[in-house]
Amino acid sequence: MLGSVKQVWQFRTLVGALVRRHIATRYRGSLFGFLWSLLNPLCLMAVYTLVFSYYMRFNGGPHYHLMVFAGLLPWIWTSSSLVEGTASLVNSGHLITKSLFPPQVLPVVSVTAAMVHFLLALPILAFFSLAAGVSVSWTWLVVPFIVVLHALFLTGIVLGLSALNVFFRDVQHLVGNLLTLLFFLCPVVYPVSVVPERLRFLITYNPFAALTQFYQELLVEGTLPNAGAVLYVAATCCLVAFIGARIHGHYQERFAEAL
Amino acid sequence: MIISGNAAQVGGEGQASQEVDYVVDIRHLSKVFKRRTRSNGYTTFKQALLARLKGRPVGEEKVEEPVTVGIKDLTIRIPRGASIGLIGRNGSGKSTFLKLITGIYKPTDGVVNVRGRIAALIELGAGFHPDFTGRENLVLAGIMHGLTREQITARFDDIVRFAELEHVIDDPVRTYSSGMFMRLGFSIAIHTDPDILLVDEVLAVGDAGFVAKCKDRIAELRRAGKTLILVTHDLDAVERWCDEAIWLHKGEVKDRGNPRRVIDAYRHHIERQEEGALLEEDGVQVDPISTVEPVSEGRQPARWGSREVEITQVSLIGADGSEKRVLHPEDSARVRMSYTVRNAHEDLVFGIGITRVDGLSVFGTNTDIDRVKLPATGATGVVECEIPRIGLVEGSYTFDVAVHRTDGYPYDYHKDAVHFSIRSDKREVGVSSLTRGWVVDGVRCSC
Repeated sequence: MLGSVKQVWQFRTLVGALVRRHIATRYRGSLFGFLWSLLNPLCLMAVYTLVFSYYMRFNGGPHYHLMVFAGLLPWIWTSSSLVEGTASLVNSGHLITKSLFPPQVLPVVSVTAAMVHFLLALPILAFFSLAAGVSVSWTWLVVPFIVVLHALFLTGIVLGLSALNVFFRDVQHLVGNLLTLLFFLCPVVYPVSVVPERLRFLITYNPFAALTQFYQELLVEGTLPNAGAVLYVAATCCLVAFIGARIHGHYQERFAEAL
Repeated sequence: MIISGNAAQVGGEGQASQEVDYVVDIRHLSKVFKRRTRSNGYTTFKQALLARLKGRPVGEEKVEEPVTVGIKDLTIRIPRGASIGLIGRNGSGKSTFLKLITGIYKPTDGVVNVRGRIAALIELGAGFHPDFTGRENLVLAGIMHGLTREQITARFDDIVRFAELEHVIDDPVRTYSSGMFMRLGFSIAIHTDPDILLVDEVLAVGDAGFVAKCKDRIAELRRAGKTLILVTHDLDAVERWCDEAIWLHKGEVKDRGNPRRVIDAYRHHIERQEEGALLEEDGVQVDPISTVEPVSEGRQPARWGSREVEITQVSLIGADGSEKRVLHPEDSARVRMSYTVRNAHEDLVFGIGITRVDGLSVFGTNTDIDRVKLPATGATGVVECEIPRIGLVEGSYTFDVAVHRTDGYPYDYHKDAVHFSIRSDKREVGVSSLTRGWVVDGVRCSC
């Protein structure tokens, strides 16, 4: 585990260059560039607000659209990391079979690139908050801590899944489908308060859901998350990162032949 | 592509032979590949799951899995500054060997010990992104090769100049020709301060000028004491550049040592194999009796004529009386044609022609040109054309045979009836290997 962390650190220039390329590739040749990555959450926010607040008259709290947006941004980070990261080794197979390329760099690049998009979208959230008359609370300063946990969590999952995907291509299809289910288990389009008390554990013990809730509390509600919950999530994230790195390390030697 | 060689220590060996500095030290290296097929490899999750559900641990299947041996118990040590040529037919394990040295593959068994940085000129431009400019790709590739940004900046101009891409370095590489692509890849790889240079057939592409430049650069690196490992089918290059040739055959070292000797042994081996393969391939190609052969329109038939007289069998016979497919320029040969006469004819001309594989007509004659008086022929018989010295330079050729009337009316014409090759250790050029001798200042020299 420490070894692979060290290796990724060794290759930080490479990770940096690849992340930059990754982001640049996506928008090269398009007129609006980065704005496209904002279009998706903005449209989703508009549609969800329309459907839930106006059609279904669902009372999602005073700033429902902000809650949705604050939940969507980290969700998009999660889903694009998992989708791209899982397939990253298979998609860049030529690098691994033709040259001595550190394979763990590829999933890390997927997660990092998606994280950059997430971070760049935060000012837009701040703008919407101010526009809705909600002040940007000091709790925004705590967000980086949650981002670190989130990044650790995603990296762990993606390291493991990308390695398994080399041997079982089913994994990438499985991930795509599970993500749809997972989305509705996270309190993005509904507030935690509508979840019945006896089913709350689905939010509390699901790190994806818990992270969503943390972001919403810090970014929109201006409150600090429950310390116990944060501790639990932190421990889970570290565990997942450890297991993911172990799985990756275990299979790493066989990538070049299997790809 | 680049390994910063912090070589793993081989367990407790401080022996006296350390005076020679080996950059590559390979001992008892074996590499076995599991053959993964859809039917028996557990390539899908479903199959792994099923295997598990049936109470069979997945791991057990490995035992039954068929394996391919890539490299068999190989021990090679390459001293610093040496030039090694790796030769062998396709599938002999050359590429596997290179991937093991570079660390892309992990050995199944044995130890690979590499000291120093390897520049592998294997897949030039692997990892280039087509939408990025040459400049951007260069920087990225440099980082992938383990250079720092400062080093890249410092060498940037040299790399671009060597690649001769000054005018297009800011264009996306998708607009580059394959030669330009290769030049950039080569230039980057060679500017990374390698200790060991792995060259795998890359010089086969690129225009002559650049190839010459690459060769100069490789020679320069050799003089600077770098180690060169050359993998190629270009035996001349091995002979010219290498101190030692290693001949791999089915994953094992078949022979190694003086390049000249090893290459000769290898050539000889290939000749014999080719002979076997060619004989098998077209053996007696002529179908025995097929009188009416529909001639398909539009396509040049390989055989035509009225078949009033038919050539039923064609063979190329060597000096020892056996059928040959590979000859030496000095060898004698006989073209043997068996014929059958269906309608009695007196006006018969037998002919042969030799064509080089690229279509160049090399030689042709017939019994009329040679003013041969044919004896009265029976219903069947054999005509032979004797050639005391074949006298062609190395290459692939075919024989045409024919029987026709003096005015050219064809009875039976076989195009490309026999394929054969000339193999030589001399590097004569042209088509014909003339008999010659050299006389210097009145003194006859022995060849």
